[in-house]
Amino acid sequence: MRIGIIVKFLESLYSKAFINIVIDRNGTTVYVQTYKKEKLQDSYEEQFDVFGLNEKLLDYIHNFTKETPFFYIAYLDNSTLQGAIPTCVKNEMARYQDMSESEYKCYNKQWAYYTSKSDLYEIEKNYEKIGLDFIFSPFSLLVHFFKDKIADFFAGYILIQEDLITLSVFENAILLYAESINIEVYEPDEALDETLLEDEEELDIIEEIDEGIDLDDISAIDELDSLDDFGDIADLDSLDDIDDFSHNEDAEEELDEEVAAITHETKDSVSTEDYQRFTLIQESINRYYHDEKYDSKFLETIYIADGVGTSSLLKQYFEEEMFLNVYVRSIDIAQELSSLCVEEVVS
Amino acid sequence: MKYSYIKPRPKSVFTLEVKLLSTFFSISFLMLFMTYAFLLFKDYSFEKSLKSIEKRDTQLHTSLAKMKEQIVYIEKERALAQSIQTENTVLKDSITNLFDLVPPRITLSTAMLGKKSLILKGITPNKDVYNFMLQAPLRSIFHETYSSFYPAGNGWMYFVSTNYIDEGNHEN
Repeated sequence: MRIGIIVKFLESLYSKAFINIVIDRNGTTVYVQTYKKEKLQDSYEEQFDVFGLNEKLLDYIHNFTKETPFFYIAYLDNSTLQGAIPTCVKNEMARYQDMSESEYKCYNKQWAYYTSKSDLYEIEKNYEKIGLDFIFSPFSLLVHFFKDKIADFFAGYILIQEDLITLSVFENAILLYAESINIEVYEPDEALDETLLEDEEELDIIEEIDEGIDLDDISAIDELDSLDDFGDIADLDSLDDIDDFSHNEDAEEELDEEVAAITHETKDSVSTEDYQRFTLIQESINRYYHDEKYDSKFLETIYIADGVGTSSLLKQYFEEEMFLNVYVRSIDIAQELSSLCVEEVVS
Repeated sequence: MKYSYIKPRPKSVFTLEVKLLSTFFSISFLMLFMTYAFLLFKDYSFEKSLKSIEKRDTQLHTSLAKMKEQIVYIEKERALAQSIQTENTVLKDSITNLFDLVPPRITLSTAMLGKKSLILKGITPNKDVYNFMLQAPLRSIFHETYSSFYPAGNGWMYFVSTNYIDEGNHEN
């Protein structure tokens, strides 16, 4: 009893440091938040041009770990063999994914996210000099970020990172479909650029005509022909309800996104990457529609957590080619990871 | 562990620094405690020794008093012994003198020497020998001299001489 009081007293003397490591194609981002008596004290962010540990990064992290014994190092899993399945029952998992080589974690006993055991082992080995306390899945990050939406709305929720797209479809907090998509490093492709230019021209024409959309003129939409198989037009009626989703926050997000997009639009590479992202997401949604394993329902809305600063074109692609209502919300992935880390420690 | 694939490492307030610090303080406290215990022991030992010394002091005082008493007693005894010795010397001299006083013709059968008296019993050829040769010196020594005679049967006379020294009268 007395020892417990002493330990609590000593604990209160120390601050807590949450060190979050996010790796993308540009290198490693380390975001640190320090808390004193459950109050945010400071936050620091530093970018390193490495994909593992080097002396500089070690020194930077060591600066925080030497200050307090209560430090937590979190890592966002960016491995390729990860995903999520809409069940948490062991017997049913094999239907979606062979889990023998995967580590999984159930969420609310309703669905599970998983990653490769060997990847986890490799991550832990790579960071054994500093040690890791938490390895989070982008799915848990996505759910945490959109927790206000996921609980009540049927929609697609997408987290966009530099080299990873995390896509999930939730209906009232129940996962229907999920996929983790790795983005190959963009290399300028003339053929693709031409296609994009054509698409952009078409999109401009669409805007100018303002007379509706001629689906036959849009090449990418051809893949959506299969939507006819659905025939669940009744779901379209719920489009009327979309207005209900249009909270002020969403409107602000849209505005922010557009303002941010203006600064990015000039870069061709960004628009090309956005098109690549759009194509990958579109393909994934098609898999959702066609794969009988999943309880496919017609998707009307998607929420995008933008961690890279996409252009407005991405939103435009979805709206014009897939007739989706798109809400884009910027996300600071490292900050969100820290928030998840704090929640994990507090709970 | 709600979201993470792995469990966090256990965190403890007892870091290396805290462990070093607590070890240092523990050793310091231990040394302080040991010093305190040593001082307590020394204090106890000193108290015990003091009591022992006090007791011994009391005993010595008692012994000293007894010895003083003994000295006084011994001194008294010595004085007494000296007195007796003197008296004995005096007595011896007196007896020697007494026997020197007795003429060869008179035979003593009993001589009883008191503190202030001398009783002589013996036989004398006749009263005159006694009167002239023994009574005369006795009278010079003793203040009071009484003599009585009775015949011995062979013509000699038994005599009893009682002599006293009267110091008071003598001093006067």
